[in-house]
Amino acid sequence: MKRLTLSLIGYLFLSVALAEAPAGYPFLSFDKALQQAAIEKKPLFVYFGRYGCGYCEKTNKEAFSSKQVREIYSKNYVLAYVDAESGKRLQLPSGERITEREVGTRYHAFVTPVFTFMSANGNTLYQIIGVQRIEDLLSADAKVQQHLSQVNKP
Amino acid sequence: MRFYNTYRSSFVLLLVAFTVQFQAQAQGWKFSPAINVTATQGAGIFHHVESSGRRNIAISKNTVAIAWEDNRNNTPQIFLASKLLTANAFTNEIKISGAGEAYEPSIVALDNDRFAVAWEENSHPYVRLVTPAGLGPTLRVNQQSSSQVSLAVHKQQLLLVYSSQNSKHPRIRFQQLEIAGQTLRTLQDCAVDVEPVKEDQSYPTIISLKDALIVAWEDRRPGHTIIMAAQSFQKSPCKFSKPQRISAGRTGEKRRPSYGKGHGVARVALAKYGTHNVLAVWADKRIFREGYDIYAAHYQANNKTLFGLNEKVQDDFGSVAQQWHPTVAGHDTGNVVVAWDDDRDGNANIMLSWLEDNQWSDDFEAASATGPGEQTHPSISLDEQGNLHLVWLDRATPGGPTRLRYAFGKR
Repeated sequence: MKRLTLSLIGYLFLSVALAEAPAGYPFLSFDKALQQAAIEKKPLFVYFGRYGCGYCEKTNKEAFSSKQVREIYSKNYVLAYVDAESGKRLQLPSGERITEREVGTRYHAFVTPVFTFMSANGNTLYQIIGVQRIEDLLSADAKVQQHLSQVNKP
Repeated sequence: MRFYNTYRSSFVLLLVAFTVQFQAQAQGWKFSPAINVTATQGAGIFHHVESSGRRNIAISKNTVAIAWEDNRNNTPQIFLASKLLTANAFTNEIKISGAGEAYEPSIVALDNDRFAVAWEENSHPYVRLVTPAGLGPTLRVNQQSSSQVSLAVHKQQLLLVYSSQNSKHPRIRFQQLEIAGQTLRTLQDCAVDVEPVKEDQSYPTIISLKDALIVAWEDRRPGHTIIMAAQSFQKSPCKFSKPQRISAGRTGEKRRPSYGKGHGVARVALAKYGTHNVLAVWADKRIFREGYDIYAAHYQANNKTLFGLNEKVQDDFGSVAQQWHPTVAGHDTGNVVVAWDDDRDGNANIMLSWLEDNQWSDDFEAASATGPGEQTHPSISLDEQGNLHLVWLDRATPGGPTRLRYAFGKR
């Protein structure tokens, strides 16, 4: 049992250390997230990270670990994670086949992490770059929600 | 008097700057107007030139050939177009792949207007010859799931590397194929790194010298992506040296970062130049605020360290811009040219830099591959006379349909 617990802790640590999408969030691949966003008529929050990214790891530990951030982001957005160095293939609604790295190129993820808020059709609404704190993520959400409420006014 | 001296100094500086700029321009490349590689383009059609090692154009004797993937038949397939070097248009367009989903073709020139093309189809690597006599039979080179094929040639042998997906972590494999007429036969097949693979190996490319062959690839073994290389000798090509890291770590760091394992790199390309020189180029994010920059390292024959110190290829004006998709071509005379796409002018254009007196030239815009819209994903080759042949993707709008464009450059 002790061994299993240690293995689980090790696995969780490894997941964070390799700077993948933060645990406990419903992150999808970019193409699936676009489809989901179209169905739910919700904006996207796209996390551009990469394998071994230090500032991604820091943001995961210090900001995405917040229950408040998790609840707000899971509720307000369809979440996508893109490994900006990966050759994983995706299919966009336009029919274009594209790799995750090329999605990063298109959305100017020249550093990592980059967090891009997008409309359901993939247009950039707002972008924040680099390490984020809890208050940065909450503030960015507030700005995007305010913008959307103005745009969607009847 | 002080005003006069300042004025005179400024004038001299301006004159020097103008002269330097004029000289740089005079020594640059003069490009032909761009032409379409294929007439099949328009809404819903997307071309890709993204082979591992960025080898999508090759020149054999009098013929230039370009291999790419597009979705004209509603599934990704591989096509090749060719023209005589002296012709003004591409005419001979043929489908290379079968009916399956095919990706990332790599092309290499053989002798006498002949070429070999390798690609991934239904998750397996394939290769065939394209000659004036027609298409050779298709050879599936591995029964395991594989991708990211790259080709080189040595005498009457094809040298092929790919990323085998047959285990938890992809591994780079090598095959030596014998060319007999139109057909190909496997001679040797082996892993490049014989040690158990603990993290992903991907995007390999290969180059052949008179007596040696060199393989480079992306490797995630330190917990972040680095560029690694190994070499073997033509007499026993499957006996690879222990892999060595090419891409260096960040310099000037006084302590290990608290988070993460290291900076990112991506997509290495190799080219031979001179009689025994090889240049490796890749995108490198060691100066993290600048994003990816273009870095290179030279192969060192007869040295324990396979590749020398890393060099930044782009000039300082590129620091504030984004660079993507580096590629390289070399010539027997010793010329070597690097190309990439770069948004320093506000939109993506193709830039070049080349070695002159062991220094990288100022970055030079390939005039036919600049302007409104996006010009990206270059692949280049030098012909016997040292002229540059360039293919790239052109888009009027981000995410819009693509055009495959070609231009010819002279110095």
